[in-house]
Amino acid sequence: MTATFAITRSAGRGVGRRAGLDRRQALQLLAAGAAAALASCGPPREQILPYAKAAEGEELTPGAVRRYATTLTLAGYGRGVVGRVVDGRPIKLEGNPAHPASLGGSDVFTEAAILDLYDPWRAQAAAGPAGVAAWSDFAEALGARLAGHEADHGAGLRLVTGRITGPSQLRLIKAIQARFPAMVWVRYEPLHDDAERQGTRLAYGRSLTPLPRFADADVILCLGADPLGPGPAQVAQARALIGRRRGGASMSRLYVAEPSLTLTGVAADHRRAAGPLVTRAIALELARRLGAPAQPGEASAETLAFAGAVADDLIAHKGRALVLVGPGQSAQMHALAAWTNHALAAPVDVIEPIDPHPDDHADSLARLDRDLAEGAVTSLIVLGANPVHDAPDGAVMARAIGRLPFSAALGLYDDETAGACRWRAPLSHALETWSDAVSPDGTASLAQPLIRPLYDSRGAEQALALMAGQPASDARDLVRATWQAGAAGDFEAEWRQALVAGVLTRGGAAKAAAPAPRWVDLAPIARSPLILSLTPSASLWDGRYAANAWLQECPDPLTKEVWGRSLRLAPGDARTFGIAEGDRVRLSLGDRSCEAVAAIVASQAPGIATLPLGGGRTRAGPIGSGLGGNPAPLRGRDLRFSLEDMRLERLGPGKDPPVTQNANRLDGDTGQLLPTMTLAALAAHAKPADDEAPPSLLTTPPRGEHAWAMVIDAAACIGCNACIVACQAENNIPVIGPEEIAVGRDMHWLRVDRYDQGPATAPDAGFLPIPCMQCEHAPCEPVCPVEASVHDGEGLNDQVYNRCVGTRFCQANCPYKVRRFNYRDYAAGAPWGDLDVTALKAQRNPEVSVRGRGVMEKCTYCVQRIAAGRAESARTGQPIADGAVKTACQVACPTEAISFGDLQDGGAQVAALRRDPRHYVLLNELGTRPRTTYLARVRNPNPALGSQA
Amino acid sequence: MSPRRWTTPGAPGLLALGGRIARPVLSRPSGRWWLAFAGAGALTALMVAGIAWTFTQGVGAWGNNTSVVWGFGIANYVWWIGIGNAGTLISSMLLLTRQRWRASINRFAESMTLFAAAIAGIFPIIHMGRPMYWYWLAPYPNTMSLWPQWRSPLVWDFWAIASYILFSLIFWYVGLLPDLAVLRDRAKGLRTRQVYGALALGWRGSARQWRLHGKLHRTLAMLAVPLVCSVHSIVGLDFAASLMPGWAESIFPPYFVVGAMFSGFCIVIVLAAIIRGALGLQSVITTAHFDVMTKIVLAASIVMGAAYASEWFAAWYGGDAAEARFLRFVFTGPYQPLYVAMLALNVAVPQLLWLPRLRRDIGSVVIIALLVNVGMWLERILIILETLSHDYLPSSWRLFRPSLTDGAILAGSLGFFALLFLILARIAPLVSIHETGELAAAEARA
Repeated sequence: MTATFAITRSAGRGVGRRAGLDRRQALQLLAAGAAAALASCGPPREQILPYAKAAEGEELTPGAVRRYATTLTLAGYGRGVVGRVVDGRPIKLEGNPAHPASLGGSDVFTEAAILDLYDPWRAQAAAGPAGVAAWSDFAEALGARLAGHEADHGAGLRLVTGRITGPSQLRLIKAIQARFPAMVWVRYEPLHDDAERQGTRLAYGRSLTPLPRFADADVILCLGADPLGPGPAQVAQARALIGRRRGGASMSRLYVAEPSLTLTGVAADHRRAAGPLVTRAIALELARRLGAPAQPGEASAETLAFAGAVADDLIAHKGRALVLVGPGQSAQMHALAAWTNHALAAPVDVIEPIDPHPDDHADSLARLDRDLAEGAVTSLIVLGANPVHDAPDGAVMARAIGRLPFSAALGLYDDETAGACRWRAPLSHALETWSDAVSPDGTASLAQPLIRPLYDSRGAEQALALMAGQPASDARDLVRATWQAGAAGDFEAEWRQALVAGVLTRGGAAKAAAPAPRWVDLAPIARSPLILSLTPSASLWDGRYAANAWLQECPDPLTKEVWGRSLRLAPGDARTFGIAEGDRVRLSLGDRSCEAVAAIVASQAPGIATLPLGGGRTRAGPIGSGLGGNPAPLRGRDLRFSLEDMRLERLGPGKDPPVTQNANRLDGDTGQLLPTMTLAALAAHAKPADDEAPPSLLTTPPRGEHAWAMVIDAAACIGCNACIVACQAENNIPVIGPEEIAVGRDMHWLRVDRYDQGPATAPDAGFLPIPCMQCEHAPCEPVCPVEASVHDGEGLNDQVYNRCVGTRFCQANCPYKVRRFNYRDYAAGAPWGDLDVTALKAQRNPEVSVRGRGVMEKCTYCVQRIAAGRAESARTGQPIADGAVKTACQVACPTEAISFGDLQDGGAQVAALRRDPRHYVLLNELGTRPRTTYLARVRNPNPALGSQA
Repeated sequence: MSPRRWTTPGAPGLLALGGRIARPVLSRPSGRWWLAFAGAGALTALMVAGIAWTFTQGVGAWGNNTSVVWGFGIANYVWWIGIGNAGTLISSMLLLTRQRWRASINRFAESMTLFAAAIAGIFPIIHMGRPMYWYWLAPYPNTMSLWPQWRSPLVWDFWAIASYILFSLIFWYVGLLPDLAVLRDRAKGLRTRQVYGALALGWRGSARQWRLHGKLHRTLAMLAVPLVCSVHSIVGLDFAASLMPGWAESIFPPYFVVGAMFSGFCIVIVLAAIIRGALGLQSVITTAHFDVMTKIVLAASIVMGAAYASEWFAAWYGGDAAEARFLRFVFTGPYQPLYVAMLALNVAVPQLLWLPRLRRDIGSVVIIALLVNVGMWLERILIILETLSHDYLPSSWRLFRPSLTDGAILAGSLGFFALLFLILARIAPLVSIHETGELAAAEARA
């Protein structure tokens, strides 16, 4: 994008320039930084309380894992996590089972947050007009500036943040507003919920938040909604929705109409690739049949027949039927959904918004834009937001910010906005400070630091307190003060309990006393030759995680692209615009444009191009900069997700981002790799395939005390990739960079294969997570010339790294191709370029070897966790209970698709699952006798729709 | 039928012939030699640079990826060991079957074996992730009491190559003994005489020595035949002992042996043409030699064709879905042009040798021989790529793209082979003096 180059240039005028820093000073800073980093490897000074109850005065056992509950946020919403801490270093994050937004599961963002903590590119020092400075220098400058604003009551002052749900931050913002009544608090998220806010306003008269209860829904219709997709509620929604999608009489039915394939579309029983006209027609048909005064939408007879069948099914399940509308749909569609759900008596709770800011996101941002342009702003403070990258007028804004007498950006990274501001100051990572947040369902939880700040940084609460005129505040005191205020009874006990469990019993969402929603008719929509649909990136969200190497290397669940995303085009549109796979294209709207690389996707709705956000970062360090184009300028003042009348032109040949999976079609005999059963077939006791091992002349190694096995439910896998990143964090799996992936190399021990069956335009898609199969007759073992690949007494195929000479025969002979080879010294962290990657080492799991160059590695079933279970069993004298040992992928899985246990324990869940009618063995005919086996997918198609998928 | 002549009438006598063969060893090198030496040296430097780069960067410098874990390294190994197979095979089988014409070609064929097998031996080591631990494949006493894994075909391979190289060296040296004595006797400088004298192990040419030498040579030849078969059979087992589609085939061991003989004979033809021209040995390396050698090449090409056809038949007749999918990939996948080229070069092109005129035309024969070796290299690389690019799970299907380092090491290894020959030409006779002399004398008498 041409516009963004201006930003980097203007950045030089701000704090990017380190004036007057000579060699001596640079060395001093370097030494100071190193010393600071070393000194901070320890527990915080205040008392923090471990997740499992710790005895009073218990010593920290070297090497022992301690677990602490805390809270991380995504788009401002809190999600409970449990951090595993070894020797004062947090090394792994898991979901907090007690927290309703995580339920013990996690998503890629939670799993990858630990890498941000140790990211070598993190902002490590404040900087001002005179170059690198201490935080206290910044605080002094800010304090002086704000003191000057007391005269104008903050009329020229603007505070820009993302969504804030934390009661402490909200309390402090109120304090700032009290000090500066004329100040404007600008709050926006690039992935906002304005359509829902406006739609509920239309329907109910005020903005409310509908919370679907998937566990109570028998029939669900998603219109452009992706409840299984990335987002703050992904884990909880997936758990509830998939809980009823594993076969059995209670299995729900899921209809999806969407422009581009999503995770929900993959899980659907019936999916339609649908543009706005089709979506509108389906919504109207349903409303009409529910008695709304609606005209039928213009649509083909086939669409209307589909809509009719869906509507009949929903109406037949009144009280247990649910309609969801996505954030990219119009406000009217949201209003209509509110009306329809009311008419269906749908299992939806309507609550007061968790986010108390009164303005819509786009309005709030547009106001800042206007004020900047009009010169109404004299001081700008940006806290954890990046408008220069993600606002529609980012480039203009950057120039305007450059002209301000005072501007400051506080954040984890020295990003585009920080580059435009006069001052920048590092915020502490969420694992370094005290805070609190509220989850989408209203549950409040505390965040406690698991480590002292690695650098000279402050928490967001401290920064806000500074603005409120309370300098030198302690983050813990600020959070305590918030909760102490409304405490009833013994606050200390409540505080302790909240820190131990990770959730507060106070708070909770207020159920809105909502009136019956009004009927709002849908305005007609004009046909548009090409609509651009902007979606969240499954790995980078809105681009804020672009600097996270694990997330850049985490494949897109559907396209399997890493290190960048392409523009998805339907084949017909590609022909119309004369575009071939891999072409560089320019999307333009008016005088604004964005470049992308085109990928032709058969399942894409005609007339709609889809581009995930997150590309085009120009100041995201060696990891995140320069990947793809930034579509933000196209979105316009109202931050639209769906852009009509796009122009698309071919610029020339380009190169698609590298992918981790090339072939994803299954046909003929390969279909048995991912069998699908219908609910009816399952009820008739059909089996997906023979799961008896074929006869063999080989001797089977005798089973020892334990026989570890894993069963993965393909029906429950939503393809979210949380397991992949969890495995990466747990097992010290390196990042190898886009060049290596383009050669066809990858290092993830666990991959999630994505396959399509049936017609390419309406594929029956599915996911199949592939860890090591831990075969009983393992083909990898006899071929290793040095016996680096050996079978242990508990049935694991162990890889002895220090014995491996790297002939790679094991991987050549592995039919599942689950082994990973260190072609280069990947552990050295080449993708970070010249940055000193020493800090990354602190993240490494001390229980897992770091592999050197030339060595083969693979999934171990988290053997270190098995060893810990064995040690615990030896200590207590009790046998290892079923579920006591959980692999990292199993813990991460939001839908509990992965079960792990001991086949020698007859009562183990895995033993029962291996007798499940859906049980099948991948490549059973080869006689490898894998310990990792699968449960087949189930579909619950509507008989009225016949064979249509 | 009158006995065929393997020397031209009017061939130089025993002494003159010996002088002509020994001249390059005992005189100053010619300009042409220096030119060739410079070229081969440059290519060798390229190989050394490629290997050095591989050692500093890791095997990541090659094109191998997660699915196609083997690539040029293993293909080059199989190809070179195949070439190395032929020399000893030719020499020993022809000795045992009393083919007198072997006298003119056995020396450089055996040298070829030695050099090719040595070059082949480089590849399994440099292809390893941690080449410094190559010796872990050998059973040696160590503090961890660890032995190699005897079930691994790579360990069998290690022994097969090691014994083959050692044996080939002994066989070559035994054949060379009388010629070393000739060099000792003809050398002018004292030191040269001392060196050759030591190497000749006191050879005087007595009747008893000749009798013992003949007996040893024949005995070794008898040992050679099974060794030759075993070495490439075991290379075939590297693949056949797996469970991958396209590899797990019982035909691989014999098919590899024939393929080895095929490519090796072709290299012998090329070498024969070069040495004949360079040393002026038209009288003892005659067109009749080329005629018989190309007949063997022709026969081998037919066997190769039959082997390919049997692979296709087995894949079809076996009814195994993975094998059938593999075969479809071979014929319709992205490597199809290479596969078609391989079939053309290995099976179709050698059929030209049915024409007697072509068999005696050295230029054509050399071109065909070179093309066959290109075809055989394609076969080696395709055996690896087809299977590893397209095995059981579609998610793992990946193509292979070679890196510059891959190309440099392959090209360099050819140069290194030439370099070794050029050096050998300066220290030992490339054609057996005593055997060609014996042949020429016998035919002159006839």
